[in-house]
Amino acid sequence: MHTIEPELRTLHADGTIDDATAARALARDRGQVFSLHPQLRATLYAGVLLVMSGVGIVLARNLERIGPLGIVLTMALVAAACAVPAVRAKRAGRALTVAGEYLLLLAVLLGSADLAYAERQFALLGPLWSWHLLLLAMVHAAIAYAFGSPLVLAASLAALAGWFGVTGTPGDALHLSYSTPELGARALACAAVIVAWRYTDRRAQPDSRFTDVFDHFAANLAFWGAIAWCREWPWLAAGLPLLATLACASVRRGLATGREVYLVYGVVYAAIGLCAAAVPHIHGTTPSLGFVLIVVCGAAAVLWRLRRRLREPGP
Amino acid sequence: MSRWRPSPDEERWLEVASELGAALPASALTGRTGGWRSTGPLARIALFALGFVAAALLFGVLGFSDETMLLVAGLIATLAAEWLTVQKRLYASGIEEGLCVAGFLMIGLWFTMVVAPGPDFTEGSLHVLVLIVAAGAAGLRRLNPFVTTCAVITFVSWAGSTASAQALDRTIGAGMTVLAFGCALAALALVLGARQYRRPSHDRMLDWLVATLPVAAYLQHASWGAFDPTYAASGTATTRLATVVLLLVLGAAMLTTGLRRRRHAPLWGFLGCVAGLAVELRSSIALAPETWLILCGLVALIVGVAVDRYLRQARNGLASASLTQREGAVDLLQIAGTALLAKRTAPAPPPAEPGFEPGGGRFGGGGATGGY
Repeated sequence: MHTIEPELRTLHADGTIDDATAARALARDRGQVFSLHPQLRATLYAGVLLVMSGVGIVLARNLERIGPLGIVLTMALVAAACAVPAVRAKRAGRALTVAGEYLLLLAVLLGSADLAYAERQFALLGPLWSWHLLLLAMVHAAIAYAFGSPLVLAASLAALAGWFGVTGTPGDALHLSYSTPELGARALACAAVIVAWRYTDRRAQPDSRFTDVFDHFAANLAFWGAIAWCREWPWLAAGLPLLATLACASVRRGLATGREVYLVYGVVYAAIGLCAAAVPHIHGTTPSLGFVLIVVCGAAAVLWRLRRRLREPGP
Repeated sequence: MSRWRPSPDEERWLEVASELGAALPASALTGRTGGWRSTGPLARIALFALGFVAAALLFGVLGFSDETMLLVAGLIATLAAEWLTVQKRLYASGIEEGLCVAGFLMIGLWFTMVVAPGPDFTEGSLHVLVLIVAAGAAGLRRLNPFVTTCAVITFVSWAGSTASAQALDRTIGAGMTVLAFGCALAALALVLGARQYRRPSHDRMLDWLVATLPVAAYLQHASWGAFDPTYAASGTATTRLATVVLLLVLGAAMLTTGLRRRRHAPLWGFLGCVAGLAVELRSSIALAPETWLILCGLVALIVGVAVDRYLRQARNGLASASLTQREGAVDLLQIAGTALLAKRTAPAPPPAEPGFEPGGGRFGGGGATGGY
């Protein structure tokens, strides 16, 4: 164990930190207040993951025994039951607790698996099956707004990205087997939609809890799109300036809000994009590795300098 | 005052700065941190990766063909890390840590190649032990808990794969040596964690061991396959009983210690023990994989809901609400994890009818191209 109580007392005695900050920090250091929030979140996430994995196997194995309609109805009922705590909290005017939010997420995911299963069995949308994802994104978004849940909003944005054809793995941006410029365009279009949505949301509710979720999705999708454009000519001509613009915007946002993750996005994605653009045009292993080494060293130096300028928000 | 690493007092002031963030004016730290400079957790991770990659690229630039280049690249990376420490006074900033770890590993690799040409990197070999020692030394030099923990976990795995451990396994049950050794080290770290440490980094190294060793040792005992729904345990009833007892005892110790000391690491260790117990119990109870998964998931959800409700109003200082508004790596993982779950539940394209080939028709019918 270790304690920083003497240092905190010194700062308080100096008048460097005020009474409230000192009291909070001392209480945390002594363990007078202790939160199980991280463990609770991990437990609830594991619960949702296990249930969803089990449900996936049930759907695959018991179709003949239960029948498609039985499965669809049962899952809808279970999903509705999982949403009960969130509905009760909303009716009572209480904020959603961490457990209530994860149960709501489970309800949403069960509903989504149910709809996907129904679509697959009964071909409700026929050749327009891919619109199912857009429908899901809209339904999830409505639920997220109804209950003020950032987790459900993340599920909605993931469905939206899926509808745009971006499966959500960074490797997509560097995939060689299919048209990366097309993938890049789709990722950028999705990022643009999310940014527009974010600004609309921010205008409607200035203290929105959703801004961070929008920002992370938009930043990652936009960077993946720009990197995908950096891989071949003539898209490179648009990809590189776009990448530079995005990197600058991300760094500015990081410095303005005191959030280092945006500095990391800006610098690391810019370095990846630069390497993706230049390495295919450099002949020979040693010059290619040398170029990447220079970019990596430059990125590390820039990230370090930017991080020194950042002042993180207080606890 | 040392040129090579911060003194315990300087390290403690760096810890205070990290704890208080912008609430602490930068001027308050001048002279107290000895000029040492650090960074935040996310930038540290990124800089560690960049430093490690830079060292590996350096070896690539010098040439893969000659093993002497391993020594040259390793020395350059290590010296660069030391220069950043001594001249720029970087501490726990990631870049010097990545360079140092990669440098030590390359020097260790070169050493194994010189001492015994044609190195053997199979489990239990001395060559692997040299690399583990190199990683451990780098972790201790940099006071980096992630690196020391990786070294210890790999050491536990190495110890479990030696000939003597395998001979012991034949007596006490397959994989029991590695599990017992891992649990013993976790328990030792838990006991040592009761002491007061001047350096926060020493405490943190023990914390990481306490948090990760139970699940890491169990994974080496049972293999990753244990978390596959179709896994069937192969051990005897006695081995399973011994595993359950070991995990139960360690888990109980972790939980009580975590709550008494108000520390997160033992609670993470406890959750690791619970995960291992759940897998072990599954092989003792005849349940279909999907039932087991749903049952475990429901238990986790019910426990989570109960704890959340019980601690909604803080009891004895224990609370379920977050104490900080700062965004951390866990918040990002939560968003990424939710997106991943949502992706898994998304529909797949509808299956094609048997014998039906889209676009394959000649002059009519399904998939007609219009060509004939």
